[in-house]
Amino acid sequence: MPRVYPRIAIVMATSIVLLPLLSLAPSSINAQRGSLDTYAITNARIVTVSGVPIERGTIVIRDGLIAGVGANVTAPADARIIDGAGLTIYPGLIDSSTSLGIPQALPSPSPSAAPGGGGGGFAQLRPQTSTTVALNSTQPPGLQPEVLAEDFLRPGGEQIEAARNAGITTALTAPRQGIWMGQSALINLAGDTTQQMIVRSPVALHVGFTPLRSGVYPTSLMGVFAALRQMLLDAGRYRDMQQAYERSPRGTRRPDQDRSLAALLPVLDGAMPVVMYADREREIDRALDLAEEFKLKVIIAGGLESSKVADRLRERKVPVLLSLNFPRRTTAALPEADPEPIRVLRERVEAPKAAARLVTARAKFAFQSGAMTNIADFRANLVRAIENGLAREDALRAVTIWPAEILGVSDRLGTIEVGKIANLLVTRGDLFDRNRTITHVFIDGRPVDLRPADPTSAPSVIAGGGSAVATGTWTLNINLGTGDLAATLILQQEGERLSGSMQGGFGTGEIANASTGPGGEVRFTVPVTFEGQTAEATFAGRMTGNEMQGSVTLVGRAPGSFTGTRAAAPVPPSAR
Amino acid sequence: MRRLLIYLVGCSLFAGFLPAATAQDRSPLTETIIRNATVLTITRGTLTNTDVLIRNGKIAALGKNLKAAAGARVIDGTGKYVMPGIVDCHSHSMLDTINEGSLSVTSMARTRDVLNPNDIDLYRGLAGGVTTLNLLHGSANAIGGLNTVVKMKFGRPVEEFIFPGAMPGIKFALGENPKRSSFQPQPGQTRRYPATRMGVEEVIRDAFTRARDYQKTWAEHRAAVARREKNLVAPRRDLQLEPLVEVLEGKRLVHAHCYRADEILMLINVANEFGFKIKTFQHTLEGYKVAKEIAQHGAGASIFADNWSYKIEAYDAIPYNAAIMTRAGVNVSMNSDSDERARRLNIEAAKAMRYGDLSEEEALKLITWNPAWQLGIHDRVGSIEVGKDADVAIWNGHPLSVYSRVDTTFIDGQVFFDRQQDLARRADAQRERAALEAAEPNRPPAGGASPRTPRGRRPAHDDDLGKGDTGEVEQP
Repeated sequence: MPRVYPRIAIVMATSIVLLPLLSLAPSSINAQRGSLDTYAITNARIVTVSGVPIERGTIVIRDGLIAGVGANVTAPADARIIDGAGLTIYPGLIDSSTSLGIPQALPSPSPSAAPGGGGGGFAQLRPQTSTTVALNSTQPPGLQPEVLAEDFLRPGGEQIEAARNAGITTALTAPRQGIWMGQSALINLAGDTTQQMIVRSPVALHVGFTPLRSGVYPTSLMGVFAALRQMLLDAGRYRDMQQAYERSPRGTRRPDQDRSLAALLPVLDGAMPVVMYADREREIDRALDLAEEFKLKVIIAGGLESSKVADRLRERKVPVLLSLNFPRRTTAALPEADPEPIRVLRERVEAPKAAARLVTARAKFAFQSGAMTNIADFRANLVRAIENGLAREDALRAVTIWPAEILGVSDRLGTIEVGKIANLLVTRGDLFDRNRTITHVFIDGRPVDLRPADPTSAPSVIAGGGSAVATGTWTLNINLGTGDLAATLILQQEGERLSGSMQGGFGTGEIANASTGPGGEVRFTVPVTFEGQTAEATFAGRMTGNEMQGSVTLVGRAPGSFTGTRAAAPVPPSAR
Repeated sequence: MRRLLIYLVGCSLFAGFLPAATAQDRSPLTETIIRNATVLTITRGTLTNTDVLIRNGKIAALGKNLKAAAGARVIDGTGKYVMPGIVDCHSHSMLDTINEGSLSVTSMARTRDVLNPNDIDLYRGLAGGVTTLNLLHGSANAIGGLNTVVKMKFGRPVEEFIFPGAMPGIKFALGENPKRSSFQPQPGQTRRYPATRMGVEEVIRDAFTRARDYQKTWAEHRAAVARREKNLVAPRRDLQLEPLVEVLEGKRLVHAHCYRADEILMLINVANEFGFKIKTFQHTLEGYKVAKEIAQHGAGASIFADNWSYKIEAYDAIPYNAAIMTRAGVNVSMNSDSDERARRLNIEAAKAMRYGDLSEEEALKLITWNPAWQLGIHDRVGSIEVGKDADVAIWNGHPLSVYSRVDTTFIDGQVFFDRQQDLARRADAQRERAALEAAEPNRPPAGGASPRTPRGRRPAHDDDLGKGDTGEVEQP
C-alpha cells in the first residue's frame, strides 16, 4: 500500500499538469478528461453485485469506465497496478437522497426590520429564505417546480468529502426545502466542476409537503395539498392552452408563458418521477393518494413506516428511498417526566426492521442517508438493518444496483460490469464489518484522496476524560429560517456530564439530555419560546476548538442551523 | 384543577394503549345480542328489559326474548343502558392541522387530506360513547376549509372512517376569529384582511360573487361544448370556488362558527341574498337572542352547554341557550370542539336539564338525533331503530348521570371500545413497554442530564396548541 500511494500522487500531479495541454488536443470526450486514467487492481476479491463474487480477480479501469473484470483478466501494460491481495472491491455506494453540494439557506433579515411593522396593512408576499429560488417565476419560493438542483450545485466541500470517505461515490441531490422543492440531479462525488459531477439531470421532481413559513399561503398541510392540486390542475390546462394555440395561432390570443407550470408537464405525462417525502403510514398513504389522483409516477422518500404500506407500494410499483437515519432516543430518563408514548418506543425499535419487511413483501427500495448528522452512521445502520433480518446481499444491493434501477441509471452504475462507470469502493475487510478500512475509492475511474476519520486527531482532547471540554460561555447564532437569533450558552462539563443553561432570543432555559462525544460532538435539548410557542429544541453539533456548529431541530419545523464561538479559553476541570 | 384531574384520569386510563381487539370483535359478520337492557331509543321512547339484536352491522331487531344465531356474541344487559352512539357536530380530533390561516377564504383546504386514523383521542372519545365526528376546519377564515364526517373506526385504514353518504360541508367563521382581533401576527407576518365584522361580511359576499361568475363561466363552456364549437379549452378549475358553487347549488352544507346575534343575522341575510342555506350555526352563544330567526331560516345550532366569558364576544352566553332555542323550534346539538370534552358529552347534555328543564329525551337528543340531522345522517344514526346502523354504546348506568361510564362501544356492529378488554390488555401493554424501553434505541443517551425546567400546566385542549400548524392559539 505505501508503495502505491506515491505513484498515484505522481499520476494525479502529472495529469493536472497535462490537463491544459490535453484540452488543446483534438477534442474527444475521453481526451478532455485525460488519457492517463488506466488502473488495474489485481488479485482482489471482487463483489460484482451483478453475479457471484470473484474470489481472486482483476479489474481494469480505463477512461473512467470499467474496461475489464474477471479472474483471468490481465493488467494492460500501461496501467498503474494496485496489488489487491487481501482487498475487496465493491461497486461505489449510492446514497439515493441527499442535498449534497446544495448550499444551506442564508440567514434572512430580521423580521422586525420588515417595512410596515404589521400595523394594519394587508398580508403581503414575502419571499421565503431559500438559496434555491427561480428567477421570473410566477410562484413564490417553495412552489417552484422549475428549480434545478444542478443550477445550484457546488463541487467539493466537507460533506461531499465525508460521504466519499464513507464509500459513497454517487448521490441523488435535491434542493433542501419547499413544497415543490425542485428537480434533483444524480451526481458523482468527485469532479472539479459541477458539470463533471453530474451523471444525470434532472432525475425527479421532489415534493416536501412542508408549509411555507413566511405567512404566505399555504401555511398548513391542508393548504399544501390544496396548492399542489391546484398547480397540477393548472399545469394540465396550461398544456391544453398551449396545444390549442399551436393548432391555430391565428385568431387565438397567445397564452402566457409559465415556467413553473411548464416544469410540471413531464411529471403529468409520467415522463419524470416525483419523489415525495413521507415517513408515517398516513403520510405515505396521502402521497400515494395524490399521486393516483393525478396519475403521477411516484417514489417515496423517508419511508420510516413504509413496511406498513408495503402491499400497496408493491401493487402500485412505488419504490422507496428508505432512510438509514433511524430514530433513537435523544432524551434522558427523568423520574418526573411523562413516560414516552408506546407508539414512539415501538417506532424506534421497528425502524431498522423496515428494510427486511419490504424485501419480504417484494416492495422495491434503496437506502438513503436521510440527512444524518454523522455519515459514519450509514454503515452502522446498514449493519443494524442486517441484524434486523435484511440479507447481507440485499443490504449491498440496496446501496448499489437498487438505487441505480430506481433512478434509471442501472445501465451505467450499480454493479461491477464492463462498460459501466468506474465507481468503486475498495476495502480491507468486509464492507459491513466494523473493523473494515476503506483503502481506495474510485470515482469516474480516478482514485480520490481519502481522509478517514481519526478519533485521536479530534481537537481539544484532554487526557483521561477522552472527550473535548465544552465548558465555557458560548455566543450562539441560531437560524431557523426566519432570521438570526442570538443566544448565550453557558456549559459546564465534568467528565461525561454536561450541564448548563441558555438565554437570549429564545428565552431562558436549563439544558437537558446533554451529551458529548469523543470527536467534539455536543448534543442537548433546551426549552425555547419561538413564535409564541414553547417547545423543545434539540441542538446537535460539533466543537472544534472555540468554534461550534451544528443543527437545531424544533418539533414541527424544518431543521435550522447554529454556529457558536467561545468567549474565553476552556476552564480545566481542576480549576473549579 | 378540574381539568388537571380529568387529564390525569384520562392518562392513567388509556395512555399508551392501542386496542388489539380479537378477530371476532372486528368481524362485521358476527351477530351480537344485548339481552334485557334499558334501551334509550331517542325516537321511540325508553324500552325496558329489551333485547337488541345486531346483525350485519345494523340493528336487526328490538324486543323481548329475541333469537340470535348460534355463535352470536351474547351480552347481558341487565341493569345497563343502551344508547345510540354520540354524534359530535364540531370536532378537530384526528386532524394533523386545523387551520389554513393564511387567507380569508380557504375553501380549497380539505380536512380529508390530513386525517390521522391513529389519533389516541379517538379511542378516548369511544370510551365516552362517541361514534361519529364532524371534523371541521378551524375558524381562522371567513370561509374555511371542507369538513369530513367520520365514524370513529380507530386504528382502521382512513377510507373506512368516511361516513358513507354524509353530506359534504364547509366551515364558515364570523366575528373575532376571522377578523383576527385576538391574534398577534407571527414574526414576518402582517395583519390579514379583514379586521372588522364589516370586512368579514364583505369577504363572504365577494367570494360568492366570484363563485357565481365561476358558475356562469362553466355553464357557458358547457353550452359551447354542446354546440360543438371547435378548439375549446375548458375554463380553469378553481378549487377555491368549486365548493362555493356546490353551496349555491345546495350540494354542500354550511357550518358557520359564530357568537353574536348581529353576525348571525348578517349571515342569514347574505345567504338569503345569494340563495343558499346555512345548515348549522356553530357555538351560537347568543343564539337565544335570535332563536326565532334561526328557526325560520331552517338552520340548526350546535353549541356548548355553559362555556362563557373566555373572550369579549362570549360575554353574553347563558347556559339556558339550549333550552330557549329548543323551545323556539331550533334543532340544537351539543358539541365538544375539544378532544377532552368529547369524552363527556353526556354530561354536557345533562346540563340542559339543569338549566332550562329540558326533558331527559330532549337532552339526549342534543348529542344524538339532532346532530345527526345537522349532518344529514339521521336516517342512519342518532337513534336506535331497526334498520339503522349499529352504532351504539352500552352504559353501566343512565348516561345522564355523572356516575355512569361506557362498557362497550359498537360501530357498524363491531366493537371499537370495550372496558373489560382494555383492562385485560393493560398487563400486556406494561410488559411490552418494559421490553421496548430496554431495547437499545430507546435507552437514554449517555452523558447524564440536568433536570428539565418545568413547563407549567399542560393545556387540556388540543385546540390550545393549534396542533402545530400555524402556531396560532385557536379558540372554540
